[in-house]
Amino acid sequence: MLNLWMRASAWICLAVVILLLGFLVQQSWPYWQQYGFSTLFSGDWYPYEKLFGLTAAIIGSFWAALIALSIAIPTGLAAAVMSTEILSGSWRSLSRTGMELLAGIPSVVYGLLGLWVLLPLLQSSLGLLTGHNLLAAGLLLSVMVLPTIMVMAQDALSEISSEQRDAAASLGMGWSERLWRVLLPQAWPGIRSGILLALGRALGETMAVMLVVGSMDRIPEPFYNLLAPAQTLTSRIGREIGESAFGSMHFAALMACGLLLATVTITISLLAHLRADNTSVART
Amino acid sequence: MNERHAKTLTMMLALPALLLPAVCLLYILFKGIPALDWAMLFGSAQGASFGSVTALWPQITGSLLLMLGACVLAAPVAFGGALFYALAASHRQQKVLLGMMHLLVGIPPIVYGLCGLIVLVHLLHWGISLLTGMVILAVIILPMLLLNSVNAINRIAVGRTEAAHALGLSNGEIIRRVWLPAAWPALLTGLLLGMARALSETAPVLFTATVFSGVAWPDSVFSPVTSLQTHIFYLAQEGANAQAVDIAWASAVVLVLLVTVLSFSASALRKIRVH
Repeated sequence: MLNLWMRASAWICLAVVILLLGFLVQQSWPYWQQYGFSTLFSGDWYPYEKLFGLTAAIIGSFWAALIALSIAIPTGLAAAVMSTEILSGSWRSLSRTGMELLAGIPSVVYGLLGLWVLLPLLQSSLGLLTGHNLLAAGLLLSVMVLPTIMVMAQDALSEISSEQRDAAASLGMGWSERLWRVLLPQAWPGIRSGILLALGRALGETMAVMLVVGSMDRIPEPFYNLLAPAQTLTSRIGREIGESAFGSMHFAALMACGLLLATVTITISLLAHLRADNTSVART
Repeated sequence: MNERHAKTLTMMLALPALLLPAVCLLYILFKGIPALDWAMLFGSAQGASFGSVTALWPQITGSLLLMLGACVLAAPVAFGGALFYALAASHRQQKVLLGMMHLLVGIPPIVYGLCGLIVLVHLLHWGISLLTGMVILAVIILPMLLLNSVNAINRIAVGRTEAAHALGLSNGEIIRRVWLPAAWPALLTGLLLGMARALSETAPVLFTATVFSGVAWPDSVFSPVTSLQTHIFYLAQEGANAQAVDIAWASAVVLVLLVTVLSFSASALRKIRVH
């Protein structure tokens, strides 16, 4: 009985993985067959004219994740350093609780905050016609991935033994020297895993991005223009899946977006878990 | 750079991260609490016009049903898989199982929604329904539940298990008499976090399990539901209707409170040590 239950569970896990990937490939196959991989470099996405180029969404996803990480990495690392190296015990656990709180806010609520707080702010401060743009998506994502980076970095820093710290101190290293030469290098594997997980999360996040990004299928013009409405892979899927007929080329193209996204995030996640400790991974 | 400057710089960089949780939470409460009252939560869902239905209990029950269904479906598989990992799997099978779970963790929720749409909605003809949403959410929380259970079992001292073996206990008895008493807080913590996750996922149920309005209590598992998450999404975009946005904030307060209660009970449980 026990044996049956255990083996059935393991088989279910295997079946889930195979079915998931299998159906993604199978349903997007007509798209790859007809358009091929060259569509990765074509910017035109007009479903009614049978043009399905992915570049605009890929660039959008890339920029949103890049903005998010370039804000969240320094802030999150500094917060982790501050809470483990500067703050005392009770403040440390308070900051930890705060991060858990931030991590617990559902993404659609972040979308609501972005739509009704961040967008009006951006609109008035930058004098834009509409606040819907990649910058807003990136800013919102940076808040959402901050807990991942901070918690993983905090765990990695607090695992460094006190002997290491004492040894560094007895060598006469100053605070910042100790941080750069001893603590951060020691904690790097954990920090790197946190950054990779955050990257995966930023690429895969849907609801918040969908509400603020503007959903316009245009390649930013010029390519660093982050203040115009744009599109990411996830927001395209979320916006258009409801109106595409099952089995049509439009549907296959959206599946191709999903497959592309899943391939990238799976790679990132496996890289992150390669040397990461299981316990911290299960918590994120 | 001297020591004091370095510390000041770190603190200044860290300050936004440390203040943000409080700011976000207070702002959500500030916007949502005024719109929230008893009548709004439990009032009649009938007779109001489209988009301004003011009772939230159908959405709350919908979200809770999805969450409970997901846990009921995922927990047995996750615990069974973890037991397989601990008791029956060869070293290679262990690696494959963990690798598969890490792979699943990496897949974005919306892709689960896509696969659910193909397999459950279209190929199995379940339609947009409660059951579809439950299964999709169950698959989403499966890897975190399984990894958590594996960790919980791994943390039990090896000596105890060996002693139990030496006493001639069968595997079933070891699970019941040794592992469960030692690992239940950790297992329950994982389950609570899984529930919080299932409650906050929006994208995968948006086009597979939920409708905007018109359902107070689903007739069967094959009928669609309304949920808090998707309710917030629809109402947030009703820019012209101030009341709708107020209701969105109120729903956000309810959702955040539900998720926070779950995740804080999880961290309270984590502190329990069983001897």
